[in-house]
Amino acid sequence: MVVSDHSSRRFDEELDELRTRVLQMGGLVEQQIHDAIEAFGVGDFEQLEQIENDDHRVNAHEVGIDEACALIIARRQPAAVDLRMLMGISKIVTDLERCGDKAAKIARKAKGIFDHEMRRIPCISDIREMGEIAVRLLRAALDAFARQDAVGAAAIVRDDVAIDEKFQAITRQLITFMMEDPRTISVALEILFIAKAVERVGDHAKNIAEQIIYITRGTDVRHVTWDQLERDAKGDGENA
Amino acid sequence: MPFWAGPLLRILTLTVMALAVGIFLDDATGWALLAAGLAAGYAYHLIQLGRLTRWLDRTRWEKAVEVPESSGEWGDAFAALYRMRREEQAGRERLSDSLERLSQAAEALPDGVVLLDTMMRIEWCNSMATRHLGIDAVHDRGMPITHLVREPAFAAYVQDEGKVDPVVLKNTSPPVRTLSLSMIPFAESGRLLISRDITAIELADTMRRDFVANVSHELRTPLTVIVGFLEGLAAGDIVDTPNLARHHALMYEQALRMERLVKDLLALSALDDTQPPANEEVVDVPALLAVLVEEGNALSGGKHKLTLEIEAGNFYGSREELRSAFSNLISNAIRYSPEGGDIAVRWVLRDGLPVFEVADNGIGIATEHIPRLTERFYRVDKGRSSATGGTGLGLAIAKHVLIRHQAKLEIESAPGKGSTFRAVFPKARLS
Repeated sequence: MVVSDHSSRRFDEELDELRTRVLQMGGLVEQQIHDAIEAFGVGDFEQLEQIENDDHRVNAHEVGIDEACALIIARRQPAAVDLRMLMGISKIVTDLERCGDKAAKIARKAKGIFDHEMRRIPCISDIREMGEIAVRLLRAALDAFARQDAVGAAAIVRDDVAIDEKFQAITRQLITFMMEDPRTISVALEILFIAKAVERVGDHAKNIAEQIIYITRGTDVRHVTWDQLERDAKGDGENA
Repeated sequence: MPFWAGPLLRILTLTVMALAVGIFLDDATGWALLAAGLAAGYAYHLIQLGRLTRWLDRTRWEKAVEVPESSGEWGDAFAALYRMRREEQAGRERLSDSLERLSQAAEALPDGVVLLDTMMRIEWCNSMATRHLGIDAVHDRGMPITHLVREPAFAAYVQDEGKVDPVVLKNTSPPVRTLSLSMIPFAESGRLLISRDITAIELADTMRRDFVANVSHELRTPLTVIVGFLEGLAAGDIVDTPNLARHHALMYEQALRMERLVKDLLALSALDDTQPPANEEVVDVPALLAVLVEEGNALSGGKHKLTLEIEAGNFYGSREELRSAFSNLISNAIRYSPEGGDIAVRWVLRDGLPVFEVADNGIGIATEHIPRLTERFYRVDKGRSSATGGTGLGLAIAKHVLIRHQAKLEIESAPGKGSTFRAVFPKARLS
C-alpha cells in the first residue's frame, strides 16, 4: 500500500474512506454498464428503464466524493502521494460519472430501438462482446485502483485497443447493412450510438488507469508511448 | 538426593581437610587450602554459568543449539533444560502440523472462505475465494473487502447488520457465474465470508420452471379447444348437424393430441432413469425397421418417398425403447419434409459400428438450433411445429433411449438442404 503512516491516524482514515467511496461508485457504474448491455441484448424493457432512473445515484456519488476531496485538501493540506491521490480521485470520479452517463445513454437508445419494434437488430452479439471487454477493463481499472497497482493499470491502457478494433469492425458492418437496405439506416444509426457509448467506456477505463499510474508513480503518462508508459509503471517508484 | 547434598558434601570435605592441615601443620596453610578450595569451586560454577548464559543468548537467534553437557548438579540442570526444550519443540511441531492440516482442510472446501477482521479487512482466504472473488491471498491482506467486491448489492448487504438471506451476485465478466455470499460472525468481532457457486442450481431451477411452463402450455392448448366447443354445445349455439360432426372430429383430434403428450411425458420420465433398460434382448432390427417404414408410409400418406437400406443385422437392446426412438426420428423426418421429399432410413455398419440413420432432403435446421434440438419442447419455428402434430418431446425421448444404449446422436443439417439424424451404437451390442 502506498499510503504511508501519518502522524494523524484520522487523516489515514479519511483517505481510506474516500477510496472506499470511489470504489463503491465504481461498482455501481460497472453494474449499470453491464446491465445496460445485457438488457439491450435480451430486450428487457423494465431493466432499461431502471438503469436510466438509477443514473442519479452515480451523479450523487460524484458530487459527494468531490466535496470530500475539496474538504480534505483544505483541512489537511496534503503533499506528495496524498495530494496526487486526491487529485487523481477527483479525475477518476469524473471518468466514472461519464461511464454512468454512457450506461444511461445505452439504456435510452436501446429503449428507442425496442419502441419501434425493430424485428431484426444487427450487430447485437458484437456489441455484447464489446461490452464484455469494456466492463472487464473497467473492472480491472478499479481493481488496480484498489491495489494501487501501476503495472496492472498499464496493461489496461494497452488492452483498450481491442475495443477500438471491435468498434471499427461494427462500424464497417453497419455501413454494409445500410448500403444493402436503406430502411435499416435509422436503426443502424441508433446501434452505432450504442457502440460508440460502449467504446467510450473503454476510453474512460483507460483514463482511470493513467490516473492510477500518476497516483502511484507520480509521472504523467497521458500522452506517451506504450513502452514509455510501461517503463514508468514498472519504475522503482522514487517519486512515490 | 537433594541437589544441595553434593556441594554441601564437597564443602564439608574441604573444611575437614583444611581443619586437619591446620591442626597437623600450621594455621596459615589450613586457611590457604580452604581459600584455594573455595575459589576453585567458585570458578567452576562461574564457568558453568557462563556456558548457560551463552547458550540462552544463542538459542534466541538460532534454532538447534545443543544444550551444554556437564556433570553433577549442573548436569542435572542442563538435562532438565534439554528435556524442556525437546518437549517444547515437539509441541510446536504438533501445533504447526495441526495448523497446516486446518488450512489444507479450508483449501479443500468447495466454497470460497474469506476471514475478515472488525474493519472488514481481508485477513486470509482460500484458493476457491480467489477463483470466485479474485482476491489474492498474499497481496490483498489488509484490504477492505468492499474494495474488491464492489457490487452495490454486496455493499448494501455488508452495511445491513440484521441480514439473514445470503446475497446473490452475478459475475459481470466471464466466466459467467452466480455466487451466493453470506457473512457469518465468529469469535469476538471477526467475520467469515462464504462464497458458494450456485450457477448449476440456478440453471436447474430455470430448466425446471421452463419445463413446467411448457407442459402446462402444451396441455392447455388442446383443452381450450375442447372446452370451447363443449361450452358452445351447452349453450345450444351449435345445432346444425354438418358443423357438429366437424367439431366432433376436431375435439377428438385434440383429445388424441393430449393423450400423445401424456404418453410421451410418461415415456420420458421412465427413461430419465440412468439405469440401463431391464428387458434387453436380441432385437431383429431389420424386421423392426421394415414395420416402422410401413408405418411411416401410412403417416406420410404417400406424399414422401421412403427407402430402407439394411446392412447390419440383429442388435442387443430394449425392443420397445429402440422402437420408440427410431419411430420418433422417422416421423420427424416425414413431418419436416415437404411433399415429394425423399427419406432414407439406413441400418448400416460404419467403421464396424452399427449406425441407424435417417436422412431427408427437407427444410433443414439452422446451426444455432442444433445443440438445443433435444431439449424438451424446444421448437425451431413456433408457428409451424404444433401444426405438424408433434409433441415436442420426440427428440428428447430418442436422445434418452440412445444414452441408455450408450449410443451417440449426431445431427447434420443445413437450411434448405435437409437433415441427417444419426445414432452411432457401440460395437458390443451387435449380435
